[in-house]
Amino acid sequence: MLYRSSWDIINIMKSLGFKKTEQILSCYGIPLCPSRLTVEKSEALDFAGEIGYPAVLKVSSLEPIHKTDLGLVKTGIKDKKELEEAWDELNKKKIKKEGILVQKQLFGVEVVAGMKRDSQFGPVLMFGLGGIMVELLKDVSFRIAPLKKKDVQEMMKETKGYQLLSGFRSQKAVDLEKLIGIFLSLSELSLNESEIKEVDLNPVIANEKGVWVADPRFILN
Amino acid sequence: MDKLNRIFNPKTLAIIGAKPEEKSVGWGLMKNALQGKSKRRVFAVNPHHKEVLGVKCVPSVMSIQEEVDLAVIAVPAKIVPKVVEECCQKKVGGMIIISSGFGESGKEGKLLEDKIKETARKAGVPLIGPNCLGVIRPGNLLNATFAPALPKSGEIAFISQSGALVDSVIDENFKKNYGFSALISYGNEADVTLADFLWWAVEDPKTKVIALYLEGIKEGREIMNVFSEVSAKKPILAVKAGRSRAGKKAVSSHTGSLAGEYPVYQALFKQTGVAEADTVRELFSSAKALAWQPKCENGIAIVTNGGSCGVLLADYCQELGVKLVELSEETLKKLNKPGVMHPAYSGRNPLDVVGDALSDKYKSAIEALLEQPDIKGLIVVQTLQIMTETEKNAKIIIEAKKKWKDKPIIAAFLGGPITAPGAKILEDNHIPNYGDLKEAALAIKSLIKK
Repeated sequence: MLYRSSWDIINIMKSLGFKKTEQILSCYGIPLCPSRLTVEKSEALDFAGEIGYPAVLKVSSLEPIHKTDLGLVKTGIKDKKELEEAWDELNKKKIKKEGILVQKQLFGVEVVAGMKRDSQFGPVLMFGLGGIMVELLKDVSFRIAPLKKKDVQEMMKETKGYQLLSGFRSQKAVDLEKLIGIFLSLSELSLNESEIKEVDLNPVIANEKGVWVADPRFILN
Repeated sequence: MDKLNRIFNPKTLAIIGAKPEEKSVGWGLMKNALQGKSKRRVFAVNPHHKEVLGVKCVPSVMSIQEEVDLAVIAVPAKIVPKVVEECCQKKVGGMIIISSGFGESGKEGKLLEDKIKETARKAGVPLIGPNCLGVIRPGNLLNATFAPALPKSGEIAFISQSGALVDSVIDENFKKNYGFSALISYGNEADVTLADFLWWAVEDPKTKVIALYLEGIKEGREIMNVFSEVSAKKPILAVKAGRSRAGKKAVSSHTGSLAGEYPVYQALFKQTGVAEADTVRELFSSAKALAWQPKCENGIAIVTNGGSCGVLLADYCQELGVKLVELSEETLKKLNKPGVMHPAYSGRNPLDVVGDALSDKYKSAIEALLEQPDIKGLIVVQTLQIMTETEKNAKIIIEAKKKWKDKPIIAAFLGGPITAPGAKILEDNHIPNYGDLKEAALAIKSLIKK
């Protein structure tokens, strides 16, 4: 793989840093929602101006933490003023961080794409709908890599939440082809990059225009 | 898997550890081996005894003059390495190690297992087990196990991680009409693995369907490929044990293998075209359908003389994703001709021919449905009224089957002793019959092409 050579310089860390995460995603053609990691408030403001509001700020940390539970995520930031306030609040948080992530806030169905390694079968991919569908209802499905397009389709249709993707009430169907593409790329990635132990793309935002990973996490061996 | 051919079709069979004491394993192996004495020469090997069941004992496999195709070994684990060594020197065609006390029993056992595996591999002699029941090939009168009897010969290859389960499947088989091409208990898979048996079964002309009982799988990635390739040629059905937390614990103490995460196994089965059965009963009732009937596209019809059964069966079909086809205008035209059907017949699928239907009504219904091109398979349900002609109905189905060879027909003749003669005619002619509608629905589902 293209990416292989740059592996050498990665620090031995549990979770992969944002820059590297971004590179891997791009290398496998997995779209990331417009994001910039920075430690400068002015850069955050410039970037938000570029991509447009509403924006999201997230503390980026290599520690295995649940960001929402710790109040490290600010969503629905409407303008420059709100962004400055949110920045100051997050910047004060006493947590080891590599910076603060500025993202465009996207709307759509929240999907989870995961990968874990099974001792017998190797990389196993997980699909589920975000939020309580995964956490509470365990409405998820699994497939072993390598996945074919047909496998991804079947995997999605197996869940009850699939209806939300194919159009429910007034909601338009999401771009399923692109969503399938994410799983095919993740399948390839999991077979190539043995250094990555686990992947958690949660959430992936899917709407009729496309799909974007909003929160990627790669856990290393 | 040519290397297994001498094991499944031996001209000479040596039971190492044959014993005269009734009810011992060595005695059971000998008794079963002798059932096939018309097909092969049987040798008893035991230095401590003179004779077992009328066969003179020789002290070691080395003292047999003839070539030995298959050696079945049932001696204490500690002696097994020496016996394996001798068998390899003797260049036997294959070995089955019944003895336990190997990998499943801890570190010391594992070392012993590695040792015999190495010896066998070096000599190029296939080794089945250890810690297994052995193999059975009913068509050859080969019973290289201490199972209670020889089951019927047929089309199902049953490959099981459990030996004990094989035994009860055999006993139950006496009241069933399906049969086996082989029954294989593969134990610890020191040398010959599940994958090898699958490759063998797919090439075996007698095997039409493969039924598996699994606890854990050793080489996951390899099995994934094997399942995919084999299931493309012959259907595989599997029961997976160790699905729950309680079950998983039980597996590790049973076969010493790890049951793994059940959702991963479910994914494996779906991706590789293996049909999962929930129970052992379902495993064989679906295997029976696959052994006797062709596969078909999704689109079936139901004929019934009981409305309730049609409704219940339609429910099961929908739950299982089996499509019920709408009756075409042409079909309805045939059925609506005066006198063909009861005036109160349903006029739709499920086709209710009404309780008092005699066999002429069944005949008209069955033929009209099978003539409709998009009806790919049929379930015929019969409930029992005083006038129901169960044997005649069975014969009508058999005649229809002869005419529509490519369309599977399965029957659900519900009832007991009065229905039994009809059910017997059906199954004697390889129309699978089920005493329960859910079983019938599961059976037709297993016949539907993916």
